[in-house]
Amino acid sequence: MDTATQRKWDAASRSFDFITFGDDHRLGPHKRRLFAKMHGAILMVAAGTGNDFRFFPTGQSILAIDISPKMLERAEKKAAQYQGKIELRQMDVCQLPLPDSSFDSVVTVCTFCSVPEPVIGLRELYRVLKPGGQILMFEHVRSRIGPLGIFLDLMTPLSRRVGPDLNRDTVGNVQKAGFRIRREENVYLDIVKSIEGVKDR
Amino acid sequence: MIFTIGDYVAGMLVGAATALSVRMVVWPGMDMVIAMIAGMAIGMAVHIVLGLILAPLIGMFNAMIPASLIGMYGGMFFGMRDSMAAGSRTLAAAIAVGVVFGAIVVAGVEYYDRTLRGAVVDSGY
Repeated sequence: MDTATQRKWDAASRSFDFITFGDDHRLGPHKRRLFAKMHGAILMVAAGTGNDFRFFPTGQSILAIDISPKMLERAEKKAAQYQGKIELRQMDVCQLPLPDSSFDSVVTVCTFCSVPEPVIGLRELYRVLKPGGQILMFEHVRSRIGPLGIFLDLMTPLSRRVGPDLNRDTVGNVQKAGFRIRREENVYLDIVKSIEGVKDR
Repeated sequence: MIFTIGDYVAGMLVGAATALSVRMVVWPGMDMVIAMIAGMAIGMAVHIVLGLILAPLIGMFNAMIPASLIGMYGGMFFGMRDSMAAGSRTLAAAIAVGVVFGAIVVAGVEYYDRTLRGAVVDSGY
């Protein structure tokens, strides 16, 4: 278990709902549209305080994991309100104690901006997905627009201390982990994206 | 709609705060290059503080991205302008320029966002 990352997100859990209030309301419809594609056995990575549970289609059975026990404590109430089943468990995405080929869908929301070794984490998700399974991601990435990309590079040493990196190439990392990109959609500029990947074999 | 209004209000606020802060530091006759660098540094500081305050209301990236452009480029622009004593004679006029600059940047980002929005890859299967 990556204890440094765990401690960082334990600390962030106190103000997480306040800081993400605007994003949750603004980006909710985009998340709802992406999550409508969830089916079968579902793994949600980095559940956080459970703010995204309300955007899930009802009636699903979901295993929601997070590295931070403090985040999961705050997610309990929202999980109980979901009209379906959400099981919460503490896990590190880079070391998943889950069998191979056991999920049909994996969902992530602003996760791989924070995982210190993103390709290792994504390879773990590739492993636990069944052949033909899908990964549905709502992530922010480094902009390819010159000045914005440089700005995100400059801000990352600061943002990394309390939260995520701002300059990840998550689409590239998804491909490096073995997924085929089925769909990539810009939600805000070329920074906030929904990404759909498939495990072909 | 409410978020779009919020974007413009936030941009105008960052523009006004940057113009005001630069005006406090840069004086007419100051070396223009130093004024430009000082303006940029001040603008960056202003945008980080205001961006973090506004982010919970309108969203992290919607607050920070326009604010960064306003702070960085606006700070340089206001610094050069104030060092040359060109344009705004009063503090109120300088702030008004900041407000207009902020609104223009937000409009530009909004336009750019609309052109980029949507599917980049869609294999369909």
